[in-house]
Amino acid sequence: MTNFVDYLLGGFSNGAVIALMALAIVLVWRSTRMVNFAQVGQAMFTTYVALTIQQSTGSWILALVVAMAAGLVLGIVVFFLVIRPVKNSDSTGAIIATFGVLIALQAGAGMIWGGDPQGFLTPVDNSGIEFAGRIWPISLYDVLVLVVTAALVIGLTLLFTKTNLGLSMRAAAFNPEVARLSGVRVNRMLITGWAIAGATGAVGGVLIAPVSTISPNSFDILLVFAFTAAVIGGLDSLIGAVTFGIGTGLVISLVSGYSDSGNAPIVALILLALNLLLKPDGVFGHHGARSV
Amino acid sequence: MKTLRSFPGNRIIWHAIIVGVVWLLLLLLNNNIDPLYSSYLALVAMYATAMFGMTILVGLSGQVSLGNGALMAVGGYVFALTSMNWQTVPFFGWEWNAIWSMVFAGLGGVLIGGIIGGLAARLKGPYLAGLTLGVAVGVPAITNRFPELLGGENGLMLTVPYPAGGYAAIDAGGEVATDEGGDAAVDIETDAGATGEDQQYAELDLSEFDQGTDPLAEEDLLTEDDLLTEDDLLTEDDLLTEDDLLTEDDLLTEDDLLTEEDFGAGGDLGIDENVVDPTEDPGVDGAGLDGTDIAGGGFIDGFDSEFIIERWQASMAIAVACIVAFAALNLVRGRQGRVWKAVRDDPVAAAVVGISPSGSKVSAFVVSSLFAALAGAVFAQILSFIGPGAFGLGLSLSLLVGIVLGGRASLLGAIIGALLLVWLPELVDGLSGERGWPEQITNNAPNLLYGLLVVAVVLLAPGGITGTFKSWIDKAKGRGRATLS
Repeated sequence: MTNFVDYLLGGFSNGAVIALMALAIVLVWRSTRMVNFAQVGQAMFTTYVALTIQQSTGSWILALVVAMAAGLVLGIVVFFLVIRPVKNSDSTGAIIATFGVLIALQAGAGMIWGGDPQGFLTPVDNSGIEFAGRIWPISLYDVLVLVVTAALVIGLTLLFTKTNLGLSMRAAAFNPEVARLSGVRVNRMLITGWAIAGATGAVGGVLIAPVSTISPNSFDILLVFAFTAAVIGGLDSLIGAVTFGIGTGLVISLVSGYSDSGNAPIVALILLALNLLLKPDGVFGHHGARSV
Repeated sequence: MKTLRSFPGNRIIWHAIIVGVVWLLLLLLNNNIDPLYSSYLALVAMYATAMFGMTILVGLSGQVSLGNGALMAVGGYVFALTSMNWQTVPFFGWEWNAIWSMVFAGLGGVLIGGIIGGLAARLKGPYLAGLTLGVAVGVPAITNRFPELLGGENGLMLTVPYPAGGYAAIDAGGEVATDEGGDAAVDIETDAGATGEDQQYAELDLSEFDQGTDPLAEEDLLTEDDLLTEDDLLTEDDLLTEDDLLTEDDLLTEDDLLTEEDFGAGGDLGIDENVVDPTEDPGVDGAGLDGTDIAGGGFIDGFDSEFIIERWQASMAIAVACIVAFAALNLVRGRQGRVWKAVRDDPVAAAVVGISPSGSKVSAFVVSSLFAALAGAVFAQILSFIGPGAFGLGLSLSLLVGIVLGGRASLLGAIIGALLLVWLPELVDGLSGERGWPEQITNNAPNLLYGLLVVAVVLLAPGGITGTFKSWIDKAKGRGRATLS
C-alpha cells in the first residue's frame, strides 16, 4: 500500500507536464480544428532556448519567461508560414505539414545544440521531501511544477471565461461564420490560440527538462502521452486535457513502479485505442463536436 | 494499345512486361557498377518496396499512417527469428529456405497490419495519425518487453542466408560481410536521421563491431600467430645471412606479384585494415612469400568465387521490389485502386454505390503492411541486424517524407522518393566533406531539408514531383490542371 501511494504521488508532476502539453494540443484544436503534431517539437525547441538562457545567466525564472515568449513567437510563425496556407485546402496535407515542421524543428535543434542529451538545472531541490519521519516521493521541485501548472490552468480558465478575448476565442472556435458576423476577428483569434498553445507547451517543456534530459528526440514520447490525454479528454475540453493529463501521469507512474518504465508507451497505446473504440467523443467532449 | 488495355488480362501482361524489363535493366546495372553503388541500389529498392505500400495507404486511401516503420520491424524480426531458429518449416517439414522466412515475414505484417487496420478503419485524419504515432513510438518498448526473444534494445544479429555456393566460399571472408553490414548500418541510421538518438545508435554500432570483430580477432590472429611459429623465422634469418640478397632479385619480384594480386583484389572489395594488418606484421616482413601462401588460401578462395555481398544484397532487394511493384501496379491500376480513391474522395458516395468504406480502408492497411513487412525483411538482411533503434519513429517519418516528396498517389513517386531518401544524405555528406562542415550540421542537414521540403511540397505542389510533372505535361497538352491523383 505504501508503494501504491508512493507511485501515485510520484506521478503528479509528470502528469502536470503531460496536462500542459495536452492543453496546448487542445488549444490548437479549439482554434483551428486540427492536431498540431509539431506541438511537442516546438516545446523541445523553446526548451533548448531556455537552456541557453539558463546556462548564460543562471536564472531559471528568466529562462522560463524567455521560453514562453519564444513559444508564443514560434506558434505564430508556424501558424502563418504553414497552417494558414494549408488549413482549408487539404486536410491530409495539413497533418503531413505538421510532421514536416516536427522533422525540421528536431533537425534544427540537433544542428544548433547537438544530439547529445543535456541536463537542465532545477531552481529548487529535486530530492524527496522528508516529512513525518519518512522521505516522500515528492520533491520541492515537484511542488513548484504543480504550482506553476495550476497557475497557468487558472489563468487560462479566467481568460476563457472572464475576458472579452476569451469569449471571442470561444465564439470563433464554436462557429466562425456567426462569430465573424458578430464582429469577432476570427483570424486573429486563431493566431491567438496558436500563440497561447505555443507558450503553454513551452512551459511544459521547461518544467519536464530537469527530470528527463533534453535532446532533439527526447520529447517524442511526451507527444504520445499528451495526444492520448487530449483525445481521452475530448480534444476540445480544457478541463478534460488537465484531468486526463494528470491521470495519464499517474497511470504511467504506476506502470513504471510495478513493472518497467519501458512499458508506459504500450499502456498509453492501449488506453488510446480503447478510448477511440469505446468512447470516441472523449469523456468531456461534446457529442458531435467532432466525428472520428 | 487502347484496346489491349481494356482487357484486364492483357493489362496484367503489360505490367509483367514493364516490371520484367525494369528488373532486367536493374540487374544489368547492378552487375556493372561499383559495389558501393550496389549497396545504395539495395537501399533504394528496399525503401521503394515499403513506399509502394505508403502510396496505397496515404496516397490512394488517404490515411496518414506512421505505423509502417513498425510494420517493417515486424517483418524484420519475423525474418530474423525464423531464419535463425528454423531448420524446417513447422507443420510441413519442408526444408527451410530464405524464401520461407520472407513468406512468414509477409504473413506477420498482414496479421499485425490487419489488427491495426481494423482499429484504424474507424478513425480518420489526426486520430489515425496519432494512434499510429503511438505504434511507432511503442515498438522499442515491445522489444524491451521480450529481451530474450527479441534481444531488447540491442536487437538481434542476423546470419544472413547467402546463396549456398557463395556462403561456403565466403566463410573465410565472413568478416568482410559483417564489416560492410556495420558501415551500411551507420549510413542508414544517419539517413533515418532521428537526430537525438545518437546514444542509442552508438550502442548499436558498438554491439555490431563487437560481434563483427570478435570472430576476426579469434580466428585470424590466432592462425597468424601459429603461422609465424611454423614459418621458422630462424630459417629466414639463415637465408638472409647465407645468401646474396642482391642476386635473388627474381624471387623478390615473384613475391611482389603474388601480394599485388591477392591484396589488390582484396583492397578493391573494401577489406578493412584489420584484415590486411596480420600480413604486414613486422615478423612476416621477411617471410612475405610463405606467409601469404599459407594464410592467403582462405582469402583467395573467398574472392575467387566472385561473390560480392553488395551485389547480392542489391539483387535480392531488387527482386522483392519488382515483385511488389508488379502487385502494386495491378492493384493501383485495377478495380481496387478505383475503390480506394472513391472512398478517399467521398466515403458516403462510395457507400451508396456499394463499396464498403471500412473494408476498403482495412484492405489498404493490409496491403501496405504486407509490403512494409517484406521491406523490413530485406532491410534486416542488408543490415544483417534488426533492432528497435533502426526501425523507430525516424524510419516511419522518412517513409512519409519520401512519399510526399515523390508524389503521394503515384508508384513512380514512391521510387523517386526512395531515390531522394538515399541520395540526399550522400549529397550532403559529399558537400560537407568538401566544405568541412562540423558533424552536427552534416548529420542533421538532410532531415532539416526533408522537413522544409515536405512543408513546401504540401503548400506549393501537393502532387509532389510526379504530380507536378504530370500537371506540366497536361498543361502543355492543353488539358485542365491535374489533381492529386
